[in-house]
Amino acid sequence: MPERVLLRGGRVVCPASGRDGIADVRVADGRVVAVGEGVEADGARVVDCRGLVVAPGFVDLAAELCDPGDPSREDLQSGSEAAAAGGFTTVLASPATDPVVDTAAVAGDVLARAGRLPGARVAQAGALTVGLAGRELAEIGLMVEAGCSALSDGGRPVADSLVLRRALEYARPFGLPVLLRPADPALEAEGVMHEGPAALRAGLRGIPPEAEEIGVARVLGLVRRTGARVHLTHVTTARSLAMLAAAREEGLPVTASTPARHLLLEDSIVEHSGYDSRYRLLPPLRPAADRRALVEAVRSGLLDAVISDHVPLTPVHKELEFEHAAPGAVGLETALRAVLGALDGDPVAAVRALAVGPAAVLGRRAAVEPGAVADLVVFDPDTVGVVGRPARGRSANEPLMGLALPGRVVATLVGGRFVVGPIPN
Amino acid sequence: MIGKDILGLRDLDAADIHRILDTATRFRAVSERAIKKVPTLRGRTVVTAFFENSTRTRLSFDLAAKRLSADVLGFSASTSSTRKGETLMDTARNLDALKPDAVIIRHGAAGAPHMLARAFPWSVINAGDGINEHPTQGLLDLLTMRDHLGDLRGRRVAIVGDVFHSRVARSDIFGLTKLGARVLVAGPGTMCPPELAELGVELRHTIDEVIEDVDVVMMLRIQRERLGRAMMASSREYARFYGLDLDRLRRARPDVLVMHPGPINRGVELAPEVADGERSVILEQVTNGLAVRMALLYLLLGRGAGEGGDA
Repeated sequence: MPERVLLRGGRVVCPASGRDGIADVRVADGRVVAVGEGVEADGARVVDCRGLVVAPGFVDLAAELCDPGDPSREDLQSGSEAAAAGGFTTVLASPATDPVVDTAAVAGDVLARAGRLPGARVAQAGALTVGLAGRELAEIGLMVEAGCSALSDGGRPVADSLVLRRALEYARPFGLPVLLRPADPALEAEGVMHEGPAALRAGLRGIPPEAEEIGVARVLGLVRRTGARVHLTHVTTARSLAMLAAAREEGLPVTASTPARHLLLEDSIVEHSGYDSRYRLLPPLRPAADRRALVEAVRSGLLDAVISDHVPLTPVHKELEFEHAAPGAVGLETALRAVLGALDGDPVAAVRALAVGPAAVLGRRAAVEPGAVADLVVFDPDTVGVVGRPARGRSANEPLMGLALPGRVVATLVGGRFVVGPIPN
Repeated sequence: MIGKDILGLRDLDAADIHRILDTATRFRAVSERAIKKVPTLRGRTVVTAFFENSTRTRLSFDLAAKRLSADVLGFSASTSSTRKGETLMDTARNLDALKPDAVIIRHGAAGAPHMLARAFPWSVINAGDGINEHPTQGLLDLLTMRDHLGDLRGRRVAIVGDVFHSRVARSDIFGLTKLGARVLVAGPGTMCPPELAELGVELRHTIDEVIEDVDVVMMLRIQRERLGRAMMASSREYARFYGLDLDRLRRARPDVLVMHPGPINRGVELAPEVADGERSVILEQVTNGLAVRMALLYLLLGRGAGEGGDA
């Protein structure tokens, strides 16, 4: 049952409405009903939020929940709980499942089960191409009817530029955003980390940054050609950012995001960790200059969103030699901490990148204002703690484990209901 | 600092390297005696775990351990077959249950020895990991050069061939630069990318651009079977621009050392008459390899056993 709650005395950070200050937030019937100073409890349960940030719940655009297909890695239940533990109230599930979400039938099955989850809401992205294979168009229209919220090939680049062009043309009138990871697949095929001095020292084959940048140029060209609304996920180099800025300047309908951990970690960690396969990622971790450019782009808003890039993998995939391990890491439970750690604890920029920006990509408004659905997060932006093993997700491939980072999610409300917290008063 | 493991020359400093080479020089004497065995590592267990093919490195480690009286057991398994079945970590857990003192590993994946070194208490010696390092080869190369040239500071060494994909070259480069030598590299553009300069080497292109200037020329084996897509055109063209033949050798300094980590592709990177010629120290490299490996096993496992008396 939705609760009647008064979140009292927190710092309400709502970039959408421009509010940033101490205020009370009253929630009833699943919605925010009042925001301001000295809001009456009116019979609601009072939760003391002094010293904490109250913000719109986070929205993630790139999480593999592995459902249907591989409950040893994750499923809707555990993914929903992991997301809520990280302050997310909505997660867009990747279509990279088994079977792939490339038909209305599979999408409908997931969305039906997503109606009764213990944590964050799960929205579903439908595949752009059949089997994520980049050859034939998936039944995009039927998946839209089934309730899909976006289209993507689950991080697999569509190698054939003609197919990508057609997919963008075909998808555009259906109105959903198309999420693409920019990459030239042939150029990244032989490498296992960022190509540069760190890979040279470590003796690992590199993925040149141009693999991503050529992908960005290709997507931007096709956006210009087709007018499709595209969101670039996994933008991780300074030159990609420069191309993105030029495209924005030109007025192209393109938004972009980067994985949270790429704001914090650099490629040199591969050698220094003794080739720890938790740092085997795609796109790979970048050198300091790129990382700093990413942080700056989140601050300036050039990057609209930060994604969890949640890819749960078990020891079967990860307890292997670095180059044989599958790329990917979990991130739902730690994205906020990575962002706060990288942005010197700035909660406003964090809320913009984790809530407002990604919600807008899905055509939604993330705000703490009367009438808004009460999808909210309450977090402590300052207290520093060591990142431990993921508490809710099934997989432990967390590259931030062991780092001391600020940020602790105290409570998450979905539709006015506490799915995490709150701390007892 | 020489710690629990020998994973790469990247992790050693000049003093460590000289200490290993000095120890190897003393152990070389053991192999010249009638009874070529000392009791230094009696009761110690050394495992050779070769996940890639090897003849000379494995024989050399085997013999090194036996000459120090260690118990040696070994196995070979191709990476592909173990990848289908048991993981490296599972293989290592099984080895661990046998309580070895040192594991010598060769593996196709860079960092595989590091992974074991992090996870287990025994010493790990890297016998070649992917394109990363082959530290014992690097050390035996350094010993061979030091024998002939003395102090390597200011000496010029050319490494010719597929430098980028060579773990031997990488270990040589780390070792030589630490000992103050100048390293020139030459080879096809796909195998000697400009970023190699980051390792502190000077980039040239063909063998003609280095041969007249150097004290040592290290010819790398071209491994066509291991090369990725579109790495080179033909063996004929390779020999024309990057191979060492007698004509080119005549233009080198008269006392130049010709080295090769073996096995040689005769007629590709090295003409037969050069490989067998008087400037070639290739077989000395093999002899020194044994001494270096004895030294490393001694330094990792035998400390406290009394080096002077035994060696």
